[in-house]
Amino acid sequence: MTLEHNILDVQDFCVDYGYGESAVRAVSDVSFTLGASRVLGVAGESGSGKSTLVYGLTRLLRAPGVISDGEVTFTIGAEGDQRAFDLLAATEQDLRAIRWSHISIVLQSALSALNPMRRIGREFDEVLRTHDKNSSKESRHERAIELLAMVGLDADRLDRFPHELSGGQRQRIMIAMALALRPELVIMDEPTTALDVVTQREIVSELYELRRQLGFAMIFITHDLSLLVELADEIMVMYAGHIVERAAATDLYHAPRHPYTLGLMNSFPPLHGERKELSGIPGTPPDLKSLPAGCSFSPRCAYAMDICHSSKPPLVPVDETGRLAACWLHDPSHSHSVPVELARKHVRGVEAQ
Amino acid sequence: MRSLQIPKSPKVISGVVILGVFIVLTVIGPWIAPYSPNTNRFSTSQMPSWHHLLGTTLLGQDVFSQLLVGCRETMVVGFVAGFIATVLSIVVGLAAGYIGGKTDEGLSLLSNVFLAIPGLPLMIVINSYLPPGKQANPLVIGVVISLTGWAWGARVLRAQTMSLRDRDFVEAARIIGESRRRIMFGEIGPNLLPVLASSLLFTILYAVGLFTTLAFLGLTPLSTWNWGTMLYWSNTQNAAIAGQWWWVGPPGIAIALVGTSLALINFGIDEFINPRLRAGGLSARQRRKVGMSRRPHLGFTPVRRVSATKPTGSN
Amino acid sequence: MRVILRRLGVYAFTAWVTITVNFILPRLMPGNPFDQIAAKLTGVVTAQELQAIKIQLGGDINQPMIEQYWHYLNQLAHFNLGVSITLSSPVSTILAGQIWWTVGLIGVAAVLSFLIGTVLGVVFGWMRGSRADNVIPVATFLQSVPYYFLGTVLIMAFASHWHFFPLENAYDLSITPGWHWDFISSLLRHSELPILSIVLSSLAGWMLGMRNMMVTIAGEDFVLMAVAKGLPRRRVIWHAARSAILPSIANFTLAIGLLVSGSLLVEQIFNYPGVGNLILEAVGGEDYPLIQGIFLLITFTVLGASFLADILYYVLDPRIRTATAH
Repeated sequence: MTLEHNILDVQDFCVDYGYGESAVRAVSDVSFTLGASRVLGVAGESGSGKSTLVYGLTRLLRAPGVISDGEVTFTIGAEGDQRAFDLLAATEQDLRAIRWSHISIVLQSALSALNPMRRIGREFDEVLRTHDKNSSKESRHERAIELLAMVGLDADRLDRFPHELSGGQRQRIMIAMALALRPELVIMDEPTTALDVVTQREIVSELYELRRQLGFAMIFITHDLSLLVELADEIMVMYAGHIVERAAATDLYHAPRHPYTLGLMNSFPPLHGERKELSGIPGTPPDLKSLPAGCSFSPRCAYAMDICHSSKPPLVPVDETGRLAACWLHDPSHSHSVPVELARKHVRGVEAQ
Repeated sequence: MRSLQIPKSPKVISGVVILGVFIVLTVIGPWIAPYSPNTNRFSTSQMPSWHHLLGTTLLGQDVFSQLLVGCRETMVVGFVAGFIATVLSIVVGLAAGYIGGKTDEGLSLLSNVFLAIPGLPLMIVINSYLPPGKQANPLVIGVVISLTGWAWGARVLRAQTMSLRDRDFVEAARIIGESRRRIMFGEIGPNLLPVLASSLLFTILYAVGLFTTLAFLGLTPLSTWNWGTMLYWSNTQNAAIAGQWWWVGPPGIAIALVGTSLALINFGIDEFINPRLRAGGLSARQRRKVGMSRRPHLGFTPVRRVSATKPTGSN
Repeated sequence: MRVILRRLGVYAFTAWVTITVNFILPRLMPGNPFDQIAAKLTGVVTAQELQAIKIQLGGDINQPMIEQYWHYLNQLAHFNLGVSITLSSPVSTILAGQIWWTVGLIGVAAVLSFLIGTVLGVVFGWMRGSRADNVIPVATFLQSVPYYFLGTVLIMAFASHWHFFPLENAYDLSITPGWHWDFISSLLRHSELPILSIVLSSLAGWMLGMRNMMVTIAGEDFVLMAVAKGLPRRRVIWHAARSAILPSIANFTLAIGLLVSGSLLVEQIFNYPGVGNLILEAVGGEDYPLIQGIFLLITFTVLGASFLADILYYVLDPRIRTATAH
């Protein structure tokens, strides 16, 4: 084991919606690992299974969601004193103990994630008290003020109700709350999607800073790849419940290998840098109930070949760096040449030019 | 446009069946009744038997015949009042919700007034002033009931109309230049169907309840039969204290069953309007069928490995 | 505060409408109830009182309508509701003696049924998908049973057949009322069955409404967040229930009207003293002043209860409270 152990190890993870014969597979055979203090970005359109994946991993997925296969191991503690939890075998009690103190989550809409009936201060107090019964009310109050200061908010916000705050303030409060118990893993489910571009920008850089200081690992879900490239170490792109590409963040962003990744990148303007024409992806995400044969993306893919309509491409390494993609274009036995936009070379460290 | 596709749950189906039976009885009840409900030539206070399926009253009348005959008046008054009240609530609710402004304020105030005044005492007062001639007609009472019962529906429809008013397709119709009436009844109306259906069911329920209550108090004409009058007679003649359950029970249970059937159908509409009531809702029986031992707890997603091909390490 | 004042305005307006309807109704109806009343009352009441009744019932047609109306309002302001024909005493005196029975009985029953129904609704809403769902059809049936019918059945079963409970009246009439245990225990014993029938028939409505809201609110993000924070189940349920209760309180206006209407009949069934029992005697005896007085009293009571519910809602929902404070 290296110095940096894996905090999350996911193998062949599958999630279904519904039970028995009416079940629909929403996440199929997803495997990945996440190192401690690392950031994994998960990208995809809505309905790609990216949220289902992380809610499933944390067992927070609502009915009729069912985890239908796989292994999820969550490991915490320093080298030599590590504790591993099998999240899928964990009892409710185990999960309660792990939640928030080790894994916390920030949702897309902070307005709906905060109880509308409660003042912010009470939410902080409750979460701090739940995980430390012996703490005093004063110490919890102090901690709440400290947490707010971390995200640049004044202590007087504690007396406010959620509806009295701006969207950006609410999301900062959610982030502060997620960090309250110094968790090892923070999950961000599109935390900036509901915000305006300026606030988005601010929050992303705050997150970057906080992560540098506190060193928590993060899974960041978004459909906006340009956000991820600044935050993430590694990016996973999902389509119809499958991982279609996984690579180091800059590699993926500057030299995508899967046509879907390319399309996703063209759907959003980069936060900074040159302006490009946005082409987007034609068509709509597939209906999980009746996925097309072969590659799920083939009906919308500009490069689709015959084999794409009949046979599902495996997620395999596509070059010597070990980056993964699930696309027949990179298989020499099925494709003579790779389209140039999917074969860009990317040399690390020079992308800034 | 959303069409009204009510989920076919056991609740809805049993509601429709029960209501169907009573609607059939409304039509044929008086024809298939074995005796006249008024005739008192039988021996008094008999327990149910093959001759008298539900026994006889203290006056020697056949309870079963009274129940069958009384079904028609109860149901007709309930439905007529329900329909009139619903029409009123559509007009008021749609106008208030769509036109807005001063119209809305006026109509909302009117609904609030009618909502706040309790129906039964108001009905008793109105009824006491109705001249005896008019009093003889249960339908008049039904109409008056509808005047006291439209406010709730109007309030619900108003809220729904307001939320629909600003949707894209209504906006589009407005830009195209369709007339206000055309937009109200052509565009907004159909989208109100589920809310409307729900409000109709409740208004019928209210009307049946209020009418039978008035009848129970002896405030409807005693010359005709409905379930409320049956209870009136059993009450004035102390049937309960005498333990004559066959006389007291049937009309009360019939009223409750009609109400239950309407409420059961409404469960389906509720689930249609509010998908959260439906999503993830798996009955205990369905769950056992797919082999889940416990219901899914919020925030503790169940793990059920379906592919037995792969051995799993930890479980 | 503006919200509360607005609601108060609506209730004041409703009260005025009620009073005016009460004035107009007798004048709208063909025939003149006054003449027969006058015949009954001559010699029983003073000429002055007769005049008051006359005004109330629209008998004094020589006066212009607006003057009659003014006089009527003036009488009301002095709590002069006329004189009961059947009981030959002022309506306000009769009502003052009877209203406390009604308020006591219905008040206790309403609070009990709201509390029990809400708690059950929270529990069953949370346990959605378990065998507890089987309670829904039963509750639906119970909700549809008329109050008076349930009262009758309870009498038949518990009081008449098994002699568990006393059959009628508010207390054992052989006991002299007063602040001593015999009387109080008799009072409690006699209220059990009426309260039980009101609670049983109104409970289901609160329960089903609350269950629906719990299921709906459980779908909100903040409830999932409560789970994600590792809060104990009890606290998670509390997060949801606190929000789910608001619609129940908002619906109180509608529910209290139905509850009061239903409960009036329960008094009648159990021969319990109170306004409900009185109203039937009044209708039977064509005692118009009494009927009208009762109508006003009940409506005002319901308006008052609704207003209390509005204040409660205002206190409980910070979104309204703070929106108006700023």
